[in-house]
Amino acid sequence: MTTGASEPLLALSNVNTFYGQAQVHFDLSITVARGHIVCLLGGNASGKSTTMKIILGLVKPRSGNVTFDGASLIGLTTPQIVRRGIASVPEARRLFADMSVRENILMGAFVRNDREAVAQDLDKMLTLFPKLGQRLSQRAGSLSGGEQQMVAMARALMSRPRMIVMDEPTMGLSPLYVDRVLELIRAINQEGVSVFMVEQNASLALEIAHEAYVLQTGKIVLSGPARALKDDPRVRDAYLGGSEAA
Amino acid sequence: MSSWLDYTINGLIVGNVYALVAVGLALIFGVSRLINFAQGSIYLVGAYIGWVAVVQLHTPLPLTIIVVAAAAAIVGLIIERFGLRPLQNSVRIAPLLATIGISFVLDQLVMLTFSPNPRALPSQLPDVRFQVGGGTIGPLDLLIAGVGLTSALLLFVFLRYSKLGWAVRAASQDRDAAMQMGVDVNRVNQAVFGIAAALGGVSGMLVGMYYNQIDTAMSLQATLKGVVAEVVGGAGNVPGAVIGSLLLGLVESYGVAVFGTSYRNLFAFLLLVVVLVLRPNGLFASARQAPPEPLTGTFIAPSRPVRIPWWALAVAAAGFAVLPLFPVSFYVLQTLINAWLLGMLALSLTLVAGTMGQVSLGHAALLAIGAYTSALLSLTLNVPVGLAVIGGGLMSAALGTLLISPSFRLRGHYVSIATLAIGEIVSLVILNWESVTRGPIGISGIPPLSVFGYDLISPTSIYWFSFAVMVVLALLQGRLLTSHLGRSFRAIRDDDIAARAYGLSLNRYKSLAFIFGGFAAGISGGIAAHLYSYINHETFNTQQSILALTVVILGGLGNVVGAMLGAVALVGLPEVFRIAAEYRILIYGIVLLLLVRFRPQGLLGTM
Ligand SMILES: Nc1ncnc2c1ncn2[C@@H]1O[C@H](COP(=O)(O)OP(=O)(O)OP(=O)(O)O)[C@@H](O)[C@H]1O
Ligand SMILES: [Mg+2]
Repeated sequence: MTTGASEPLLALSNVNTFYGQAQVHFDLSITVARGHIVCLLGGNASGKSTTMKIILGLVKPRSGNVTFDGASLIGLTTPQIVRRGIASVPEARRLFADMSVRENILMGAFVRNDREAVAQDLDKMLTLFPKLGQRLSQRAGSLSGGEQQMVAMARALMSRPRMIVMDEPTMGLSPLYVDRVLELIRAINQEGVSVFMVEQNASLALEIAHEAYVLQTGKIVLSGPARALKDDPRVRDAYLGGSEAA
Repeated sequence: MSSWLDYTINGLIVGNVYALVAVGLALIFGVSRLINFAQGSIYLVGAYIGWVAVVQLHTPLPLTIIVVAAAAAIVGLIIERFGLRPLQNSVRIAPLLATIGISFVLDQLVMLTFSPNPRALPSQLPDVRFQVGGGTIGPLDLLIAGVGLTSALLLFVFLRYSKLGWAVRAASQDRDAAMQMGVDVNRVNQAVFGIAAALGGVSGMLVGMYYNQIDTAMSLQATLKGVVAEVVGGAGNVPGAVIGSLLLGLVESYGVAVFGTSYRNLFAFLLLVVVLVLRPNGLFASARQAPPEPLTGTFIAPSRPVRIPWWALAVAAAGFAVLPLFPVSFYVLQTLINAWLLGMLALSLTLVAGTMGQVSLGHAALLAIGAYTSALLSLTLNVPVGLAVIGGGLMSAALGTLLISPSFRLRGHYVSIATLAIGEIVSLVILNWESVTRGPIGISGIPPLSVFGYDLISPTSIYWFSFAVMVVLALLQGRLLTSHLGRSFRAIRDDDIAARAYGLSLNRYKSLAFIFGGFAAGISGGIAAHLYSYINHETFNTQQSILALTVVILGGLGNVVGAMLGAVALVGLPEVFRIAAEYRILIYGIVLLLLVRFRPQGLLGTM
């Protein structure tokens, strides 16, 4: 594993987030090193999706800082942040249901103006996700959950991002698709794209992650290299709260 | 006698005109989940710009169309930038109210600039008609059809092949996801408002030419028709809006053919109510489609109401009660009597819109029901006036609740649309049901107020009577709000799904709110009828509904004291400052805009 430049690609430092009166993040600090897959684990309502929204500028933190490639993202709009090189696979995929699969994938390249290269990248996506080839003109809303996940990932890649943030990419998928998605995340990462992913399914996520953080009601209670955390019983204790086994 | 083909052609042409308005509404709703009540005002502005171009600048027709489209688009961009963008993060009712305020301001500005008198808008086209089958068609019909088709084609190309068009479509399906693709939603909004305004403006101009007449009443009519067509086609659905418009045009045209012109609008609003009740997502919505309203009640601004000590209220009430004992002018008493009548209406609306969360835009209909009932009871059945007024209140409570009950399952914007339509239906029924309501002639010679056989003729006695009635209604309502029932109302407003999960029956509670509110408004209308001695179907109009809404927002939604304070302020202050009547509506519109922007919780806070 290479650490690259000493400076992390993405850093959240001492972020405090509120929805009205309710605080969801308490001095949250997370770093994503260049070229790494970093995973944020946590139970329901622990504030994982909100962390994604903070990075993307969809929710503003009350205090703290978010930097990407050394520059602060605070005060930027979501489109501006996307143009800096962050792409997203949102929770529940959030495809444009009434647009075709092709249009959805091309929407991912919205920030780009190099038409020919975009067309080439579309072809590349079809080799990466061969199943989408026959579905290109179909309404995105009519695809199965697994297929939709593929479209969402292809859409995110189309912006040629430096980093992808993903919110529970395996949620609701059959085991076959889960493996496929994890493989793809690894492949994407090997092309040099850093990945920050939110997951509930700890054992799966720790398979592919380099580092992981465990979030419990808005506080980081555990963090470290994924390999070390994989066998750490505290991961289970920290966030499962006895609800469901990972 | 015109042929069916003529009615069909007429229906399609009028439908085309509606489509130009409705498509804009659909685009805006798609992107912002907002019904733009200012769309008709832009249509009005388009008609008058067309008049300036044709009559004063003598522009040729193609240039006229371009000038109108461009000028209207600029108005649309200004509305988006300065009226709506600042409200992006406010409660969901804010932009809706802002568009209502903007429409008042625009309509009044047009009226003040061009006078309210109708003007002729010549079409610049030769006046010939061609025989087609059994009917005839003129160059203007062809122009309207041509403009409609061209606009549809341009819009299709824009949405399908341009980058901004893709952004519009993506944003209207999932705003947040579109932002995460790098779409700048502000630019999308700009585009959508610009396009909607250009189409709306051209539509207004074409209608002006079609009837060779323009006047300021066009605005509200256009908004209403556009909204009907849009909702029939499915809110936010652009092709649906076109089909809904053509359908509306045909329904109206055939309705006129069978029943006569005065029924035209009745068909439009009945169609709307039927669609709202049976298929609230429109005729063509797929079952998969998410309901275009948020599921929980973030519609009203939460705030901490200002607590006024009871003794201060008592002192204020006593002060107003003894006021006529001092040498005050007839004029002051008259003004305050108007304030008390408006106060009763505001009490009703603040309960329904504020406490219950059903933002009614047709509240004047309750006044009309109360007024007609009381007037007819006393005139035709010789019921004593005091009892007749109570009869008016009861009828308003019963009939108002009955009329609104099919819409109880609607939420948010849809309630506003439904109430607006029901308000129009009431006024149209009054116009057309001549055997009972005396139709367009109205009712004259309504006997003066009297209680227990004492005629209330002097301004002082009328003042005391109306003030006392308002105070009693306010006390009852205050009592209601602190009761278990009041808490249930608010629970339903704040989260109807949770409230239902706790076993609260939405229908029962909404009925109770409308019964109480209908009674207060009906009493106000009844008293008004006996004061005016003459009423007709236009005495209680949409302008009054909106005035009442402004009062209620000024006071603070749901706030009983606020409703009365708002009524005194909105009726009294223009008198104090001697503002000429023609500027008042303009001022009300501006007040509404400023409130929404800077103090959405009103003077005394929402409750
Ligand atoms: N828009 C919002 N307004 C108010 N509260 C919110 C909002 N979004 C999330 N919350 C609350 O913030 C907390 C954290 O939510 P978040 O969606 O970040 O959790 P999560 O860890 O992603 O949960 P899940 O595993 O269920 O997706 C929850 O209690 C949630 O109810
Ligand atoms: Mg989540």
